[in-house]
Amino acid sequence: MKNLFKPEMLKVLVGALTFLLILKLLWFVVQIVWLSPLDIDQEEDQSSKALYYRVKLTPNNIAAPQKVTKPVKKITGSIKEIKLLAIYNASDISVVTVEYKSKSKVLGTGDVINGFTLEGAGSNFAMFSKDDRNYKVMLAKNGKASSNTSSIREVPTPKRQNTEKKVLGEVTNEGGARIIDRSLLEHYADNMEDIYKNIGIAEIKDGKDLKGFKINFVRKDSPFAKLGIRRNDVIKSINGQEIKSYNAAFGVYKNIKNVDNLSLVIMRGKEEMELEYEIN
Amino acid sequence: MQMVKKSALIFLAVWFGVLLFMPKAELYYTLEKTLAEQDIKLNEKSIDEGLFSLTLKDVTVYVKGIALANIEELDFFTVLFYSSLDLVNLQVDEALHAKVPALTKEADFTHSIIAPFTVSIDANGTFGMVEGEMNIMDKAVHIDFDKVGDISMIQPYLKKGEKGWFYEKSF
Repeated sequence: MKNLFKPEMLKVLVGALTFLLILKLLWFVVQIVWLSPLDIDQEEDQSSKALYYRVKLTPNNIAAPQKVTKPVKKITGSIKEIKLLAIYNASDISVVTVEYKSKSKVLGTGDVINGFTLEGAGSNFAMFSKDDRNYKVMLAKNGKASSNTSSIREVPTPKRQNTEKKVLGEVTNEGGARIIDRSLLEHYADNMEDIYKNIGIAEIKDGKDLKGFKINFVRKDSPFAKLGIRRNDVIKSINGQEIKSYNAAFGVYKNIKNVDNLSLVIMRGKEEMELEYEIN
Repeated sequence: MQMVKKSALIFLAVWFGVLLFMPKAELYYTLEKTLAEQDIKLNEKSIDEGLFSLTLKDVTVYVKGIALANIEELDFFTVLFYSSLDLVNLQVDEALHAKVPALTKEADFTHSIIAPFTVSIDANGTFGMVEGEMNIMDKAVHIDFDKVGDISMIQPYLKKGEKGWFYEKSF
């Protein structure tokens, strides 16, 4: 104890405390001058409230009413609507030219037209498939094509060379109603980068605040073009969900696989438009 | 000898004082501020300041306002000549499972004064077990997969060498 109160020891103790005080002061200065005193937290997104909700009004214990399917909305394309005009067979792919609804289209193996998938081609015929059935379409002679829709499993199906190729569905317009193939929707839900190959979306900002999203470009002949959206359209809401933040947009994107229909409200110039789609 | 002893004592006092009074939470807030400029925000349930460490619990990572990942525990540790950042249970949002591994059980980033330009990386999760390093001088990252798990979603970014799969990138 005597040692502690020796003048030398007291000097060391006072020196050490002064030194620690100087360090504390230095850190304090650093804190005041350079460091942020506040925790920055992400605020709850208030803008992502749905404008309305789609609800099932049928109680669970009552059998759901039979869905009335309008004939125009069901894809009941006939193979007879496809006319085979030309065939090109390579070692790895078959390419055919067909006429469908008075328009010529070039198809490769795996491509879909009118709900029929091109499986391959012979010297004078093309083989299509739909719902596990195969359809043989003969090469048109003098503008007339013939199709053989009989006995599906008896017709040998040529092996598809490129099994990795993802067959996408289409956006079709049936009697004024736009129908999105579910496989198309699922493809874009799983492959976000494919969306940005076909459509450009830009932020609309007011200073630093995000106000919404605008269509920058739509690739011609892409499924997005078939949706009827155009350059400079402003997306107001999707399925009742106001799109004013990335969180709201991401929320819609995350649930897109589970929707049965799609409602898109856009501003085109000064006009507000609602685009409705069915998903099959 | 007395001089050496005195210098060592002063050095220890400075080292300890610097760590003791280091405003760790404020340094973390400054990091948050820097990340916020890149539209990345971290929401944490709690911040615990230790003598040499800062522990964050239940951290949600927001990118452009979207909650993309959750980290059960994030631990910063430093004794100045050795620093580490440990992550426990990093889970990414379901929507990103097609692009990035769903769960990183543990990830450790360490920096030592022995190799001042290198940050060592060790991690394990649904992707398997990896170890590698990031060289600040060469601006390069090299990560080797010691055990391979589900890497189908990141395989396009990986290369295969004699030892197995690895990831390499310059920045």
